[in-house]
Amino acid sequence: MAIEITRRSFLTGAGGGALVLSMGYLGWRSLQKGAPVTALPGAGGAPMPRVDYQSYEDIWRAKWSWDSVAKGTHFVNCWYQRGCNWNVYVKDGIVWREEQAGAYEPIDPKIPDYNPRGCQKGACYSERMYDGARLRHPLKRVGERGAGKWRRVSWEEALTDIADKMIDAMISEEGPGSIMWDQGTAQTNGGAGFAMMRTSLVLDTPVLDVNTEIGDHRPGFCVTTGKMVHCSSSDDLFHSDLILIWGGNPVYTQIPQAHFIMEARYNGAKVITIAPDYSASSVHADQWVPVKVATDAALGLGMAQVMIAEGLYNKRYVQEQTDLPLLTRVDNGRFLRGKDLEQGGRDDQFYFFDLAEQKLVEVSQKTLELGTIDPALEGEFEIDSLQGKLKVRPVFAQLREHLQQYEPEKASALCGVDPDTIRQLARDLAKARAATCISQSNFSKYYHGIEMERAQLLCFALAGQMGRKGAGYMSFPYLSIDGADAVANLRGQGNPKLQLAALGLKMAPRFIADKLRGHTKEMTIYDLAREEFRHGAFPPSLLWLYHQGGFEDLYGRSADWDPSMKRPLSSYMDEAIEKGWQFRPATRPRIFMEAGGNVLRRFRGYDVMIEKLLPRLDLMVTIDWRMSNTALYSDYVLPAAAWYEKDDITWATPLSPFSQVVTRATEPVAEAKPDWEIHCLLLKTIQRRAAERGIEKFKDRHGEERSFDVYDQFTFNGRYNESNVEELLDLILSVSTNVGDVNWRKLKEKGFQRFTALGDNSFMNIGNATDVKEDEPITAGLWHTEKKMPWPTLTRRMQFCIDHPFYEELGERLPVHKDQPSIGGQYPLYMTGGHTRWSIHASWRDQKYMLQLNRGEPVIFMSVEDAKARGIRDGDRVRVFNDISSTEMQARVAAAHRPGQATCYHAWEPFMYKNRKSYSTLTPNPINPVQLAGGYYHLQPMPALFSPGSTDRATRIEIERVG
Amino acid sequence: MDDAKQEAARIGREIDGQIVRPKRQLAMVFDLNKCLGCHTCSIACKTQWTREEGMEGMWWNVVNTLPGEGTPKSWETMGGGFEPDGRQRPSRIPGREEFGDAWQFNQQEVLFEGSASHLEPKNFKGEKPSWGPNWDEDQGAGEYPNSYFFYFPRLCNHCTHPACLEACPRGAIYKREQDGIVLIDEQKCKGFRFCMEACPYKRIYYNHVKLVSQKCIFCFPRIDEGVAPACARQCPGRLRFVGYLDDENGPIHKLVHQWKVALPLHEEFGTGPNIFYVPPLSPPRVTATGKPDPSKPRIPIEYLQSLFGPRVEEALRILETERAKKARGEASELMDTLIVYRWPDNIFPDLTKDPATL
Repeated sequence: MAIEITRRSFLTGAGGGALVLSMGYLGWRSLQKGAPVTALPGAGGAPMPRVDYQSYEDIWRAKWSWDSVAKGTHFVNCWYQRGCNWNVYVKDGIVWREEQAGAYEPIDPKIPDYNPRGCQKGACYSERMYDGARLRHPLKRVGERGAGKWRRVSWEEALTDIADKMIDAMISEEGPGSIMWDQGTAQTNGGAGFAMMRTSLVLDTPVLDVNTEIGDHRPGFCVTTGKMVHCSSSDDLFHSDLILIWGGNPVYTQIPQAHFIMEARYNGAKVITIAPDYSASSVHADQWVPVKVATDAALGLGMAQVMIAEGLYNKRYVQEQTDLPLLTRVDNGRFLRGKDLEQGGRDDQFYFFDLAEQKLVEVSQKTLELGTIDPALEGEFEIDSLQGKLKVRPVFAQLREHLQQYEPEKASALCGVDPDTIRQLARDLAKARAATCISQSNFSKYYHGIEMERAQLLCFALAGQMGRKGAGYMSFPYLSIDGADAVANLRGQGNPKLQLAALGLKMAPRFIADKLRGHTKEMTIYDLAREEFRHGAFPPSLLWLYHQGGFEDLYGRSADWDPSMKRPLSSYMDEAIEKGWQFRPATRPRIFMEAGGNVLRRFRGYDVMIEKLLPRLDLMVTIDWRMSNTALYSDYVLPAAAWYEKDDITWATPLSPFSQVVTRATEPVAEAKPDWEIHCLLLKTIQRRAAERGIEKFKDRHGEERSFDVYDQFTFNGRYNESNVEELLDLILSVSTNVGDVNWRKLKEKGFQRFTALGDNSFMNIGNATDVKEDEPITAGLWHTEKKMPWPTLTRRMQFCIDHPFYEELGERLPVHKDQPSIGGQYPLYMTGGHTRWSIHASWRDQKYMLQLNRGEPVIFMSVEDAKARGIRDGDRVRVFNDISSTEMQARVAAAHRPGQATCYHAWEPFMYKNRKSYSTLTPNPINPVQLAGGYYHLQPMPALFSPGSTDRATRIEIERVG
Repeated sequence: MDDAKQEAARIGREIDGQIVRPKRQLAMVFDLNKCLGCHTCSIACKTQWTREEGMEGMWWNVVNTLPGEGTPKSWETMGGGFEPDGRQRPSRIPGREEFGDAWQFNQQEVLFEGSASHLEPKNFKGEKPSWGPNWDEDQGAGEYPNSYFFYFPRLCNHCTHPACLEACPRGAIYKREQDGIVLIDEQKCKGFRFCMEACPYKRIYYNHVKLVSQKCIFCFPRIDEGVAPACARQCPGRLRFVGYLDDENGPIHKLVHQWKVALPLHEEFGTGPNIFYVPPLSPPRVTATGKPDPSKPRIPIEYLQSLFGPRVEEALRILETERAKKARGEASELMDTLIVYRWPDNIFPDLTKDPATL
């Protein structure tokens, strides 16, 4: 018998077994019909080839069938590895599975392409989105916080109660500043994902600046270059002949693009991994350098010493791009400044000694171009100053002397790497044609991470391995459509395009005036961000937790363990706040709104928040698609659409320089709603309830009266509302300047669009400082090296001398190694961490396949030696403890692990631990006072950088067997 | 004999005095120097084929960390396959726990019912699991700092001389004429599991609901449409080459026969596997202070020989030689083949169709 069938009839007929099964699992049968789907040509009702039903093989053929295909990706903060173009296959109204589209066009025929970007986590989101953690209905807590007891409520009931409580807070003495939002990894940014930001704009409620708290802020890169964002595209690695994997584990955390490393290796590049353990990223290296935990600064400074001592450094790069030729005073080590030489002289005028003319010359602030100047790197010179004769010498000469303490033999004693290997690494780096450092947000989570990154950058600057094809230091990657930020931040109900045009006209004089005084556009953009930051809309979470969350006793214990501190942290904190370097969040929090983040997993020592802050709150709400630990402790949980259930544009990075979409492949399950819609409805409810209660106005955080027509403001007077998000996305694309002329319809169909430029409207993108060309990989920093554009630092150069009082007091004016403090107490093991292979934050941590391919519960890796000494066998249950806390996990005993080091990878949910005490409760996360520095041109807080960061890596612990 | 005839002889097998062979043989080459251990292949296979009831514990494709006990636990010591004289090697059927089975989690109880304090896995016996399909991930062997490990994707080898096929008393197992894919006809299978016993690679699972044996089907429905298998097409490491062994212009032929850098696993099992591996390079050993010590390779060559046979040393040498050429700026066809400039054309040239366009 042979019959002709269509795919759809097949589903409802013989092939339906699997489908019925998954529907039963969903427990949600109404999905089976009526879901609108986007059919690609040929799919859907297209006739199948004639199938011979006499063959056993047809049973399998029948299982491989679907109704429609939509474009999608995962709207989650994978950061370094984000941005993969997927096809989402839909069968009878539910997502059956996903598969990478594999449709990226080749950039250059001589370079491998980007296909088929993806990873195992994205490949099972179709399973994850329907599993037992999925939120389907609005829930109201009916038991103790965290007890998991809920009552199902209607959207109307939930939103009305939430709106009333928010109104109460807004008109209270504390005002809207008492409603704190957290921007989570699962919802925000991108296109419509900015909804939460826009909500906070119209309500004037603050949003936590989470970047430094997460520890992604690359503080050493920031103090050296004045910016955080700076990264080439992954395919630029193919131009490298030396790749250092130093401060990252890309085989775990850059799965979609790790192939470029292996392919560069086949292209002749040498790959060197520097890490304490024989990590997954060591397996495919040509050399693995085992380094003691938290001593990478010593290793880097040893390498720098060799490059200088052996004359291997790139003199031209050092003279042109760094502060090393700038003159400093011998008496105090500080830069020689204009104000030293003349009355009323400038604080930011610096000097070279020009060997060509044998005289002091002013360093240009407008360009790095040296012309005929040949700045001295060595020597000591006597000059006339306001204080009489002054001895001066270049930073380079000071540095040479300073680095003597890191001669290879001495550095080896600190970092455990053989002196010969330190020399070899220095020579390899200096002599490479093009070297790249793959470094991630790892060192920024160490207490002295600033120094680790500064040491790395010193090596790369001395070697001149920056800003050339295949040469560079991968700092924080960010590159996104720039229209979203612009639209998110518009106030008023008018037409957003007209508003933007007016804003552009308003800003123009500022840019022109700044340009005339020698500021680059990048600098002006950062200045504007700093000014915005001072208004307090984005309190850095650690400062908020310290001052308002009850964390002072935990995060403020730095001096207990850091021997270089001569005074307690509170003294540095008071000074920094008094001088206006940092800002103290002053309003008592009454309401906490979690939008897709997971603070009760993420905050180091989250248990303190449960104990001290939650009891003081009037209300805690979580918007998410899954029951996170934070949701579990909330008063209301609002179910958001999953990533295949909404239309949006995601943000991106240069590592994968494509703007990607998520599309509404299926309708949201049950009562879930896209977050854009949730925000619209929340604001609509607030506006309605305020009117019903006869409340017209509230005072914003600056004492100005604002009206409660918040929904009208949010939607631009109804133009972009809960029912027309696709028009909003079209608007965003139309005002974006960096994805060509693509519109939403075209983007939705294709799924992605390669960036054409950094764009004019984003304060993050511009740090990459480069042009984006159609047929070449992206190389960061070419504006500095080729266009001679100044770096946005005080000295307008990569700056290694930071003559700030805190840096001086703490002995860090020049890059140094400092021993890792005994954070957590005097215990023998260092607990390190890193992002896991098996989840993106906690989004997949309790997903059954990811757990099945692991051990099903939280684990800690430890060495064979340490396990043996403690009578611990692989698979044993162990207690991990220090002065701060105690937790239980399963031990994984690995030959690849370094003795003295134990590793707990990222993001186990507290509800996966007995007593809900996760590994994160072990770290006191002490604030390093050096990160409170400010008031020094580029050392000033702005969103995402230059506020204090987390320091959980290498916390001291002990491990013992349980039972 | 010309190459094509030689190839035909190689992929043939003698049954009752007659040479039986498929017209062509599909094969895969896994470049272990590109494998990330990410299991995207495993998940791709899972969502494609093994989500039905009775299949929860199945990982037709899995990635093991080697050295390690693998999936199922200690499979290399279980026997199976053939002796050099053609007799069957004794073996046994691996059990559910040895495969790792599928665990149940109390998500509902913890998150929505408030009846359990924390998430815990339970195996099919209701106990805490003590083995899983990737249990010894990233542990490796050796002594720090000279520890070593590498990732090793595994699936049915679609053997030229399948021990499973020989062992099946029902005649339920067959090798497809057009491409040599080995399939179990579940309409004939009665669940005796002789195949599971006979397979020396232990890549066949038992479906406890349908009471049949099941295993990798090489995604033949996709192959039939010109689409690469899910595990290969979804591999972000771009290491899974797929094609016909006799296609002299294809990467499989080049890597297996021309450059001879892709080797079968445990050839001594006597089944003629059609999955080949480019063996792993590794960084040199180091002294206690981390100085490279090139006198001995990090992964003991004896260990690699135990997996890939005596030709492994030569294969590694060829890889190093060709890499050195590239480093000097010279051309290398081998390196260019392994790089895969254009996906999918360079990695599965006959299976380049995008399933979304079907």
